[in-house]
Amino acid sequence: MHEFSLVQGLMGQLETLAAENGAERILLVTMEIGPFSGVVVDSFRFGFEALAPLTPLTRNARLIVLQLPQRYGCRDCDNEQDMDGDARPEDCPCCGSREIFPLGADDVVLRQVEME
Amino acid sequence: MCDACGCVHEDNHEHQESGTRKRVDVHESLFEANRAKARENRKHFDGRGLVVINMISSPGSGKTTLLEKTIDTLGNEIRIGVIEGDIETERDAERIRAKGVPAVQLTPGGACHLDAAQVHRGLHLLEQERGGEDIRLLFIENVGNLVCPAAFDLGEHQRMVALSVPEGSDKPAKYPKAFGTSQLFLISKTDLLPYFDFSLEEARREALLINPDLETIECSTVSGEGFDQWLDWLRRLCAA
Repeated sequence: MHEFSLVQGLMGQLETLAAENGAERILLVTMEIGPFSGVVVDSFRFGFEALAPLTPLTRNARLIVLQLPQRYGCRDCDNEQDMDGDARPEDCPCCGSREIFPLGADDVVLRQVEME
Repeated sequence: MCDACGCVHEDNHEHQESGTRKRVDVHESLFEANRAKARENRKHFDGRGLVVINMISSPGSGKTTLLEKTIDTLGNEIRIGVIEGDIETERDAERIRAKGVPAVQLTPGGACHLDAAQVHRGLHLLEQERGGEDIRLLFIENVGNLVCPAAFDLGEHQRMVALSVPEGSDKPAKYPKAFGTSQLFLISKTDLLPYFDFSLEEARREALLINPDLETIECSTVSGEGFDQWLDWLRRLCAA
């Protein structure tokens, strides 16, 4: 559940952003969560829903999470494939190799904030 | 994403700011604050000539026992210090102090990982311990957890992931981030191999698929098998 501490950090960041922009209310927060970030999107949402109502600044804020595809590469033929959900491919659909490795985004990025 | 302006609003929207409503593009990682703290830690470690190892594993993989045995054999050769992370109790730090080595217990209050700011505080506490100002090799024993600690840089020089035989050889495939971000993979409790369905070959293969540069050591603190290899790895780090 390190999602909670990440959301706590986010709340601090939103406060700073609001102060910088002279805003009193955060309306919409857009996050991008990489599939290999180690962050569970549902837990992140839960953290946001629990913490946002605690301050007037974020009380009515909505959260949008953009989830990047879970991508795997093949060491033998350089093929890349996207997987749905948490599935991990058994082999490469291109050459049948089992030398599959996770590829791609492992970050959690605050993309955009709407405020007034 | 909106093709017209590149913004990420899901709903229909106007592209100009209406009234007092303001849209701000940020593009900042939520891990950035921790990364900045970790960079500070690394600078501090380097300035003090410390070699720092972040130990990640599930609870019960034998990290503290490994440290006790390491202090027994290497303690006279290299000055060791330990920062312990556990949700509750001082027990691990007490076990380490009993070996005559400075140790600090961080109890992150229910949190599932240590972060760079906690380690920074831990280092200052360690400096106040007897012998704490004179350390060459610092172990940070992270909270027992194969998931969350992998996402937080502490400023360490080396990250090791330990996996004990009873946990099963499928763990590298199931928890890729811990294995993908480490430099050393220690397979512990190898004296139990005859009693468990653990494939060394599978564990090594899966870990190397995720991280081809990962070094592997198989080790038992009970039989002593592979323990010299572990000590040599530590000696090499401290000699560098």
